[in-house]
Amino acid sequence: MILETKEITKSFGALTAVNAVSLGIEAGSLHSIIGPNGAGKTTLFNLLTGAFAPTSGRIVFDQQDITGTPADRVAHLGLARSYQRTTVFPSFSLFDNVWVASFSTSTRAGLAWRNANAYPEVAEQANKALRDVGLDSKANQLAREISHGEQRQLELAIALAAAPRVLLLDEPAAGLSPEESRRMVSLVRGLKGRYTIVLIEHKMDIIMSVSDRISVMHFGSLIAEGTPGEIQRNPEVRRAYLGGVAA
Amino acid sequence: MKKPVVLILISIFLLPVIVRPAIASEIWLFAIFGLGANLLLGYTGLLSFGQATFFGSAAYVAGWLMKIQGVNAFLALVAGVGVGAASAAVVGYLCVQRSGLYFIMLTFALNQLFYFTAYQWTSVTGGEDGMPGVPRPAISGIDFKDPLVYYAFVSLLFLLSLYLMKRIVDSPLGKILQAIRENEVRAEAVGFNVPRFKLLAFVIGGAFSGLAGVLYAMLFGIVPLEAISFVFSGNVVFATLIGGSGSLYGPVIGSFVFIWLSESMSTVWARWPLLLGVAFVFVVLFLRGGVVEAWHKLSLKFSSGK
Repeated sequence: MILETKEITKSFGALTAVNAVSLGIEAGSLHSIIGPNGAGKTTLFNLLTGAFAPTSGRIVFDQQDITGTPADRVAHLGLARSYQRTTVFPSFSLFDNVWVASFSTSTRAGLAWRNANAYPEVAEQANKALRDVGLDSKANQLAREISHGEQRQLELAIALAAAPRVLLLDEPAAGLSPEESRRMVSLVRGLKGRYTIVLIEHKMDIIMSVSDRISVMHFGSLIAEGTPGEIQRNPEVRRAYLGGVAA
Repeated sequence: MKKPVVLILISIFLLPVIVRPAIASEIWLFAIFGLGANLLLGYTGLLSFGQATFFGSAAYVAGWLMKIQGVNAFLALVAGVGVGAASAAVVGYLCVQRSGLYFIMLTFALNQLFYFTAYQWTSVTGGEDGMPGVPRPAISGIDFKDPLVYYAFVSLLFLLSLYLMKRIVDSPLGKILQAIRENEVRAEAVGFNVPRFKLLAFVIGGAFSGLAGVLYAMLFGIVPLEAISFVFSGNVVFATLIGGSGSLYGPVIGSFVFIWLSESMSTVWARWPLLLGVAFVFVVLFLRGGVVEAWHKLSLKFSSGK
C-alpha cells in the first residue's frame, strides 16, 4: 500500500463530511472513489493532500505518517492533485502554468537571482507534462484563452509537472462534452501504470472501464470496496448509489 | 539595450535641466519606493497600505544615525535598507496570516501604530515638527551638498535598484509570486509555502522602501512625520496604479507623473490633488494597466495605422 488512511474523520461543526474512512491504495493501481454528491469524496482528497487536517485518524504515505502535514509539504512528498473546478493560473501561458509546478519540486538554487529561463531541466519536465496531455502545441497561449476542455487537460498537466508518484484526480471529466470526455479517458488510461492514480468520477462508464479497484462512499462513510465487477453486483451499492436510478 | 532603459537613461540626463534637481531626485527615489511596493501590489497581488512604515522607519533611524551619531552616508544607507527589511519582516509576518480585506486593514493598522509611535516619541523624532537637521555626509570625498551631485547619486542608486528588481522579477521567485497572485490555492498545492513567499516579498519590498526613505531624508534634510503616515503609503500605491502595476516600469512612470504633477501643480493651484483624483478614477475605470497600458495601446494603433 503506497497510500493508506486509518479511520480518518473530518467534521465541520455538526456535519461529519468524512466518517472513519479506512482506505488502502495499492502502488501502481488505478483506484476510483465513487459516491453521490456530498458523499465526502472531495473532502477526502483535501485531507489526503493536507488542505485540511483531519479531525481524527491517520494518513500514511509510503510508510510515513503524513497526518497534518501542510499542503505544500505534501506536494514535495510526491502527492499531486487536480481539482474538480478548474484551478489554474489564468494569465500565465500554459508553459508557465506547468513550469511553476515543475520548479516547485525540483531545485531551488538561484531562486531570486537566476533567470527563470536558465533551468533547462525544469523546462524539459514542464514540456513533457504538456506533451503528456497533448497541449504542447499551445504552450505559449494564455490559460484563460483556451477552451474549457483544454483547461481540464491543463489542470491535469499541472499535477503531472510536479513529477508525483501518486496522482489524485478530482473529476477530470467534469463539464466535458462526450467527445472531450473520451479524450480525457484515454489520457487517464495512458497515465495508468506510470503513476498510482486515485480517481473521483461520476461518469459510470468511465469508472467501470478504467478502474482496478473501486471504493464507494455514502454520507461520509465507506460502504463498499472491490473490483468493478464486484461493485456492480453489490446490493448495498445498488441501493445507495446505482439503485437510486434503477428504482 | 532595451527601449525602456534607454528612455530612462535619457530622462535621467534631461530631467535636472527641466525641473529643479531636488524634484528630479525625488522622482527617482520615489520610483525606488514604487519598485518595492509593486513587488507586493503588482506581482504578488497584495494591496499593502502600510509601505510608509518601512520608508519612514528607515528615514528616522538613518536620519538619527547621521545627525546624532555622525555616521557616514554609506553606513546610513545600509542601516536604512536593514531597518526597512526588518520592519517589513515583522509587519509582513503578522499581515500574511490573513488575506483579503483583513490583510489590507492589518497593513494599515500597523502603519498607524508606527505613525503614532513616531508622533509621540518627540525626543527622537521631533513628533509633528519632524526630525530636522539631517545632514548629507560625504562618501569618500564626494560632496553631496551640491544638488546635482546628489542627484547623480540618487539616479545611480535608482538604476541599481531597477537592475536588482528586474533580476528578481525575471527569476523563479518572480514567477512564484505571480503564481500566488494568480491562484493562491494552486500555488500552495503544487508545493509553495505561500505565507513564506509573501513574507519574502514584504522583506524585499521593505528593503527598497528603506533605501528610498534614507535618500528622502538626505534630500530634504528632514524626516517629516508625513514620511511614516498612511498618506505616503497611499501615495505610493496611487503612483504605482497610475503608472501601471502590471509591469516593472509602471511604478517608475507613476512616480514620474505623481511627483512631477504634485510639485509643479502645488505652487500653481492649491486644489491640485483634485487632478490626481480624476486621473485615479480614470485609470481605475478605463485603464487598469495604467500609463504603461495606454502606451502599448497607442503604439499598437500607431504601428497598425501606418
